[in-house]
Amino acid sequence: MIFQILFILFSLFALLNVIKRKQEGLLSTLGAFFWTGFWILADIVVFVPDSTTVFANKLGIGRGADLITYVAFALIFFVLFRLHVKLHELQRDITKVVRDDALKRITSNE
Amino acid sequence: MFLAIVPAYNEAERVGSVVRSLLAFVDDVVVVDDGSIDGTADVAKDAGAIVLSHKINRGQGAALETGHAYARSAGAAHVLHFDADGQFSVEDIPSALSALQEADADVLFGTRYGEKESNIPWTKRYILGPIGRIVDRIFGSVRLSDAHNGFRILTKKALDDVRIRQSGMAHASEIPALVKKHNLSYIEVPVSVTYHEYGQGIRGGITVVKDLFFGVFSK
Repeated sequence: MIFQILFILFSLFALLNVIKRKQEGLLSTLGAFFWTGFWILADIVVFVPDSTTVFANKLGIGRGADLITYVAFALIFFVLFRLHVKLHELQRDITKVVRDDALKRITSNE
Repeated sequence: MFLAIVPAYNEAERVGSVVRSLLAFVDDVVVVDDGSIDGTADVAKDAGAIVLSHKINRGQGAALETGHAYARSAGAAHVLHFDADGQFSVEDIPSALSALQEADADVLFGTRYGEKESNIPWTKRYILGPIGRIVDRIFGSVRLSDAHNGFRILTKKALDDVRIRQSGMAHASEIPALVKKHNLSYIEVPVSVTYHEYGQGIRGGITVVKDLFFGVFSK
């Protein structure tokens, strides 16, 4: 039961953070709904672990915990991939700024 | 106008002599100083080059494209890519340019694998080179004998089409891919290469593949 209590405390903290960020205008309405839903679902799964087994069985996976592991891995890989792409795009933007500056300075020297 | 573009990063020791020797064969030399901290820009300027300075280091591909942008605005008829470390020979330039004009092609790629002398390390010749060629083909390159040779000549038409987006060394794979994409004609001409340093190793190769991969998914 210790894990469940710790988890609910953490999720409450996360939910408060979501509300705070929404109020500060740092999170969109859609984002606020997503993260609220995410943490409520996570709480349900932690308190009723068998709830995921129903979905897992439908997908041909034996245990609910396994389904969560697979989904978590897939999500982490996807997020990492998106981050790398974003980094690549940021690098290009930086290059463009540096290039424009170099060309501007040569023009002003001429 | 025949313009040489020389990307340079901390090449103060060699860039001066490279610029002076190039000026005998081209109309102007543009040195793109890529955030050097050793006075490369001053040495290049004193040697007679037009110097464009990146405030921070952005990579060879970024420096070449900065040179391209300058060449487009200057209305260059031909641009030459030439390394600042003195690994290429300026003696190859006249024959390369006339070969390009005779073939009426849009792009000339230098190759280390020809009748000219090059002291290529065997790991590059037999391991990294062939792997590089396969990777380049996967990412849409035209068929080349030398995947990563920095000696190139582009005509005005090619200069308009070849817009390098890869800031790092992956530009060497991107350029032949752009040649294929824009249906440009090309030739390969043997050039001599003298290695002063090993250059890109396995780690560099992995970075190139990574950059090419994420480049596919970037805006």
